[in-house]
Amino acid sequence: MSLAEYGFNVDNGYLEGLLRGFRSGILNKTEYLNLVQCETIDDLKLQLQATDYGNFLQNEPSPIAVSVIDEKLRSRLVVEFRHFRNHAVEPLSTFLDYITYSYMIDNIILLITGTLRQRQIAELRNKCHPLGSFAEMESVNIASTPADLYNAVLVDTPLANYFKSCITQTDLDEVNIEIIRNSLYKAYIEDFYQFCQNIGGATADVMGTILAFEADRRAFIITINSFGTELTADDREKLYPSCGKLYPYGLHQLAKCEDYEQVRQVAETYPEYASIFAGAGNNPGEKTLEDRFFEREVQINMLSFMQQFHFGIFYSYIRLKEQESRNIVWIAECIAQRHRTKIDNYIPIF
Amino acid sequence: SSPCSACVTSMYFRIARYKYYPYQRNTYVIGRQSIIIDFITRYTPNTRFTVPAREMGSILRSEEMMLLQLLLQSDSAYACVRELGEVGKVEFKDLNAEVSAFQRKFVNELRRCDEMERMLRFFVSELEKAGIPIAEPPLNCQAPDPHHLIDLETLFSNDEESLKQLNANQESLRKNLLDLKELKHILDKAQTFFQEGEEVLAEAFVQQQTTAGVVGGAGGGAPAMELRSTDVEAAAAETKFTFLIGVVPTENLLVFTRVLWRVCRGNVFVKHAQIEEPLEDPITGNPVVKSVFILFFQGEQLNARIKKLCDGFRATLYVCPESGPERRQVRDQVGVRIGEVESVLRNTTNVKDVALGKIAQSVEEWQQKVKKIKAIYHAMNMFNLDMGHQSLVAECWCPVRDFQAVQEALNRGTHLSGSPVSAIVNRISTPETPPTYYKVNKFTSGFQAIVESYGVASYRELNPTPYAIVTFPFLFGVMFGDIGHGLMMLILACVLIGFEKKLAKTKEGGEFLSIIFSGRYLLLLMGLFSVYTGIIYNTLYSRTTNVFGSAWRPYY
Repeated sequence: MSLAEYGFNVDNGYLEGLLRGFRSGILNKTEYLNLVQCETIDDLKLQLQATDYGNFLQNEPSPIAVSVIDEKLRSRLVVEFRHFRNHAVEPLSTFLDYITYSYMIDNIILLITGTLRQRQIAELRNKCHPLGSFAEMESVNIASTPADLYNAVLVDTPLANYFKSCITQTDLDEVNIEIIRNSLYKAYIEDFYQFCQNIGGATADVMGTILAFEADRRAFIITINSFGTELTADDREKLYPSCGKLYPYGLHQLAKCEDYEQVRQVAETYPEYASIFAGAGNNPGEKTLEDRFFEREVQINMLSFMQQFHFGIFYSYIRLKEQESRNIVWIAECIAQRHRTKIDNYIPIF
Repeated sequence: SSPCSACVTSMYFRIARYKYYPYQRNTYVIGRQSIIIDFITRYTPNTRFTVPAREMGSILRSEEMMLLQLLLQSDSAYACVRELGEVGKVEFKDLNAEVSAFQRKFVNELRRCDEMERMLRFFVSELEKAGIPIAEPPLNCQAPDPHHLIDLETLFSNDEESLKQLNANQESLRKNLLDLKELKHILDKAQTFFQEGEEVLAEAFVQQQTTAGVVGGAGGGAPAMELRSTDVEAAAAETKFTFLIGVVPTENLLVFTRVLWRVCRGNVFVKHAQIEEPLEDPITGNPVVKSVFILFFQGEQLNARIKKLCDGFRATLYVCPESGPERRQVRDQVGVRIGEVESVLRNTTNVKDVALGKIAQSVEEWQQKVKKIKAIYHAMNMFNLDMGHQSLVAECWCPVRDFQAVQEALNRGTHLSGSPVSAIVNRISTPETPPTYYKVNKFTSGFQAIVESYGVASYRELNPTPYAIVTFPFLFGVMFGDIGHGLMMLILACVLIGFEKKLAKTKEGGEFLSIIFSGRYLLLLMGLFSVYTGIIYNTLYSRTTNVFGSAWRPYY
């Protein structure tokens, strides 16, 4: 009998209660139906006032642009996350920090790409995700090689450990940036997985499922995106995270795939992924593969709320809120551009 | 003739209902339109409605309510609803309940009101930032007519534009001032920096010389070699040490120096000193603590990298002359410029304060007006559009006692809007239970609120409030029971009631004190009963007192 459940509420009871309160404010099917029926963005704003979002758009001068809505949704999530992080103690505080590392990786890659294309640091700063901001972030633009980047900027950040596999690259250019991104992410997700297993209990269980799915999804997407590029099979295999269900045999077979059909055959040997690949495609009436992956992610994240006294709910809440932001922005775009045929392609959560 | 046919059918309805619901008295039959007008102008309610005394509402039972159907002409509808709102005695039924909020008729006007409210909120936040007190609103702000709505809108948007312009000007001036102030601090601190920098360079120079073996045997005891500044400057020119001087927020300073050290692989000399007074951030106006830093390094490549790094950490670099007299000259110039910019800034702030002062006079009044306009349009959204979109049909509950007031309000509305046809009032009988309405005064309202927190009685049911007025404070007194403390409560309540007119106006004190203030009559009664039970308990400030002596008599 694990003793974690008895002591969990001492440190984390308030935050879990608060989080479950926020979770019950996530939009449900009827609210999405109301949103879809809106004719203009002002109607959308009126409908959102009746939800948990309340008056978050009330000080924006009309007409409201969709980018403003996106920004406000994101800043709402950031405020909630900051509150959680400020009130958390170990091990929850490290757990929440791990969640921010993925945004840090995205920010770094964004800044490097932007610098390569000669953009100004000020406009790049606005595009960075606020959850992944750290003090040395903006100085990545001075680095020209990964070794430089590591020595100058990243060695003091928590991402230092993830860089060991990337330093062999010679120069920072477009193709190598993607390889760096994926190697960083692989190291990060394996580290996160190990951390959750060390916590043990329900957290290890729930997060293990979630991170395994994330790892496998990454493997599939990397494989599919690398068709037609000069990425060799060996290089590709080095980028696959090893904490998923596909490890080791599935990953080995994926590395040998040359086209989409072979990938699908590999997926069919695993029952969970077979159902995702079945029926996915780019024809009208079918959902794209990305959409099906999003759906499965939403399902897994919803299930994490069924258990209590674990940290997985924090991760799941952030993922679900991001999905909800994507949904609202999709609906807003469809309304703003008056292209309502695909407006129902959002992914309902509850 | 179309209203006539509607009336005839409704007449049939009512007669049919009369058959099945014989207890619905006080229905009056409506004939043709001329009779209606005749009816309304000739008959006063009191002669028509014989309201028996026992049917009058009181605090013991809720008021008798009736369901009215109003037929309002489109041009006079707004004015009539406004007058009804000022009277405040009707509750409109939502006839468009199945229609969603943004498909109703007056959605556009409501959106415009929301826009105006946003602009008013902006004004209030600007007034708070500038610290200008907001004037009290006049007692009765009537909502303006619909065609005045546009005037208000243009007024607000003009004011908002000019305020935004003034804000932008102020921001740029502040930024200018910040740059000048930073430069001033840099020039002040540069003297100490250069001296220390020179010492370090001198040491490096000495080391170079000794390792190169240039120092000849010019006499023992040479370690205390006198170095003149010209030597050092020559050395500096020879070895090409470049320096960069700038200002960075202190919170970034540590990370900045660390990253700098890493980037230059240790080949940089950094010196920093904090600026004592916090500088004002131009956009938010918050004070930010900053530090001056100076870097000495060699090489052109490092120069480019360090400049990019400074960009990333929001450190601003400045040009500073090397020699002392030049620095003093620039310092004086900067001082003069700071004075100029500050005076321009003061002028701008004055202009802005004048504009804000004008707005502060009327912003509360505007807010109330906009709220009333919104309420009117919300009410009008509940009405049904009659055939031909000529008139609006509304249904509302109204206390029987206040029918006269409603009637007069409608007449005023039609008169003010200049419409030829007056509004038509029908009474509808309905099997629906009317809402419960109590006529409370300032004394009974507190107790009524407490009773209603347990649940609202149904229509014309016995109201527990009159009993609660006595029992609730009595039970409190039984539990409290102290003459002294009860007296204190009593005195507090009397003070609150004595100054209630003045205290009702002040908004400060927060929520807690306003709760106490709104319960002052409750406090009065609780205090009274506490004193009473205190006398029975013989307790004064938790000490027993012997007032009446013992009531025991020996009977033997």
